[in-house]
Amino acid sequence: MKLRRLAISEEGFIFDPETGNSYTVNETGLFILEKLRQDLSPEEIARLLSQEYEVSPEEARRDLEDFLEVLTRYGLWKEPR
Amino acid sequence: MKKPYQKPSIIKLQVGLLRDKKSGLLRMVRREIDGVPVKDLVRRFGSPLFVFSEKRLRDQFRYLRRLFESHYPRVELSWSYKTNYLDAICRIFHQEGASAEVVSDFEYHKARRLGVPGENIIFNGPYKPREILKQAVLEGARINVDSLDEILDLEEIARETGQKIRIGLRINMDTGIYPRWDRFGFNLESGEVLSVARRIAAGDRLEVAGLHCHQGTFILDPEAYARAAEKLLRLTRKLEEEFGWNIEYLDLGGGFPSRSRPKGLYLPPEVGIPPLSEYAERIARSLLLGTMARDYPLLILEIGRALVDEAGFLITTVRSAKRLADGRRAYVLDAGVNLLFTAFWYHFRIEIERELPGPPEPCILYGPLCMNIDVVEENAWLPPLPRGTHLILSPVGAYNLTQWMQFITYRPRVVLIGESGQVEVIREAETLEDVVHRERIPEHLR
Amino acid sequence: MIKVAVSGINAVDNPGPGLGIIKGLKEGAIPVSVVGLAYDAMEPGVYLTDLIDRVYLMPYPSEGEAPFLNRLLYIQEKEGIEVVIPALDPELPLFIDLEPRLSELGVRSFLPTRKHFKLRAKDRLPVIAEATGLKTPATFAVSSYEELQRALSRLRFPVMVKGLFYRAFRAYNSTEALQYFQSISAEWGYPVIIQEIVEGEEMNVVGVGDGEGGHFGLLAIKKLWITSLGKIWTGVTVKHPGLLEAAEKFVRHFRWRGAFELETIVSGEDIYLIEINPRFPAWIYFAVGVGLNLPERLLRAALGEEPERDWEYPAGKLYIRFTDDLVTDLDLFQRMVTRGER
Repeated sequence: MKLRRLAISEEGFIFDPETGNSYTVNETGLFILEKLRQDLSPEEIARLLSQEYEVSPEEARRDLEDFLEVLTRYGLWKEPR
Repeated sequence: MKKPYQKPSIIKLQVGLLRDKKSGLLRMVRREIDGVPVKDLVRRFGSPLFVFSEKRLRDQFRYLRRLFESHYPRVELSWSYKTNYLDAICRIFHQEGASAEVVSDFEYHKARRLGVPGENIIFNGPYKPREILKQAVLEGARINVDSLDEILDLEEIARETGQKIRIGLRINMDTGIYPRWDRFGFNLESGEVLSVARRIAAGDRLEVAGLHCHQGTFILDPEAYARAAEKLLRLTRKLEEEFGWNIEYLDLGGGFPSRSRPKGLYLPPEVGIPPLSEYAERIARSLLLGTMARDYPLLILEIGRALVDEAGFLITTVRSAKRLADGRRAYVLDAGVNLLFTAFWYHFRIEIERELPGPPEPCILYGPLCMNIDVVEENAWLPPLPRGTHLILSPVGAYNLTQWMQFITYRPRVVLIGESGQVEVIREAETLEDVVHRERIPEHLR
Repeated sequence: MIKVAVSGINAVDNPGPGLGIIKGLKEGAIPVSVVGLAYDAMEPGVYLTDLIDRVYLMPYPSEGEAPFLNRLLYIQEKEGIEVVIPALDPELPLFIDLEPRLSELGVRSFLPTRKHFKLRAKDRLPVIAEATGLKTPATFAVSSYEELQRALSRLRFPVMVKGLFYRAFRAYNSTEALQYFQSISAEWGYPVIIQEIVEGEEMNVVGVGDGEGGHFGLLAIKKLWITSLGKIWTGVTVKHPGLLEAAEKFVRHFRWRGAFELETIVSGEDIYLIEINPRFPAWIYFAVGVGLNLPERLLRAALGEEPERDWEYPAGKLYIRFTDDLVTDLDLFQRMVTRGER
């Protein structure tokens, strides 16, 4: 799992030691990354998001999908089969 | 207690994107226009929605009048109809004392319909149909002639009506502005003006009473107006001496910039666009230097964009959000280039109706049309926008409501926020009936 | 200790003048603490902690006056800046515009006026040439394909194609010229400058005008070696009387205020004025090195003191730019991208 190798700071700075790329994430992005690293499923994470933050489960799900799409493009995450 | 939510975002860091992102955000929120909440406007009148501020319209007119009058004793401001000829907008400027500058039969009719008397109309343009030209003559409008053929038309009208017609000549010349609009009027440097003048004098049916020019649009060099004024003054003296005419007015046309942001101008409008006061100073200085005291010609200015642009806003709504193949965010708005013709040449100020959490990222704003060219802004920096977010685009008051298209959808409402804060519809949204009622189906297709 | 903000700390292959200015200030008699203004977290100055005490990211000047001022207000509140020395062309109009407001807040500067800044527009060169007795190469400001073609038809190839603020390329045919025209206008907008190429010795003068017709020192140099981007790599001080005289005339005639650089080509008796920069050039440390600490003199002028005016310097002093390496941790970078400051 690629996400595990990332160095993630509390401020939302991410460094990928394998590729040398750096990223910044915001608070909710950080939240999702942490949950992904704990192997939680997208459904589970969306549920947790809407529990923790003021957001409807539908919007959380929609935004999560978008976020995962970006992670996939950056080569940081792959949809588990 | 749940925490406030912002859409999750991750941005890859690369040179060129590692810039300051916070300072720009402070100015991006617009909750209201003239005190009326954006949310209320949308709830009552729908989205997209054009919004005009009566206060801004009047303030800007008064500002410009004071500005020019404080530099030069005889000034007439004429409202350039083509910029925005909605009745309510024209009414406001006429109430403030503007004459009407029109360039076609339609615009002439519109000005007359609004009760503007002929003598308060300036009639320009390269094609003035014979019928309307005659009406303008009879009603005493100021006619600025564009071509020799028009002179022939006017001489004929003079014969018919048995009167000597006073006309203005549109002059084109080198004032250092490119592109040079030399397809309009008569050229100064080549001597065309003088030979036309001789022709007019020989015909003895017309008399030149004014000189007119219009150098272009969004002219960023105030000095160009000074050069135009100087050249017209010199021409005035020459025509007066040679033909005994009395040139009463110099019409320097329009082309004054607003605080809009043309594409291809690197500096922000606050510093990249000279203030209008510089234009007033330059024009007045060359007129005062070149004129004998007490013999000041009337200075006419045809102002459009500089009066109306910044008084107009367009409220539009994010209808869907997508991700492009290159990873950028894109939004589909309910207003596109069908309503925002000026998007091809200008960057609008983009404001959000409320503060949105999250870091700004590069994104593209698309309109709702099924065409690739429908791009409202190709390079915006905005925080992630939830669906349904209202954006406020400005300045959009100039040209958009005259050049908009009825293409695949209806044109929206236009409202005016009055000086006391009341909101009134000044143009209703189009309906299917509006669009089809001029169509006819031939019998065999019924 | 005077707190000075300096921009242009992008010491890359097309370097900004910031580091040269800062080195000059540090070598001067007035103790300074330097706040760097950066436009990208990767500008090398961000990582030079010995020279620059604090660094803040700035919004681009193109984003507008309000965000720019807001950011400066924020920095002022945190740092208590006493003087700002802007060093980049695109930000100068903003600093000039904001000068009264900034000085009310205690941030002083010594800048050219708005009128001076306008003289740098490359289509104004003939005005300056006339006032100073210099010549100018044929120069056209073009904003469209038609105008480009018209300008090219009046010049012989090769020609220079230049951006309003940055970028200059030598084009050998019209295809190349069009290509440069397009790439420059996409980045820096219109107009694009098309200029005749004059062959000769490339000589430049740097100086600081006092705003009343005098100056706080001039230095003339010749470029001996330039990079493929046209940037000086090796240079030598010269005492070309015609050039220095023209520079003095320039300062006197326009009552120039603040730093400036005149770029010229000397061809026999003729001196062609190529460009005017209303700021220090990137090689400003050359002046410091030969004993004319112009950055310090400008700082004194900004503080309202009377700087020295003597400007004796030896001809034949050599300037050598060189590259250097620095190894550091990611945490400065991380701070810059997450907080926008360090």
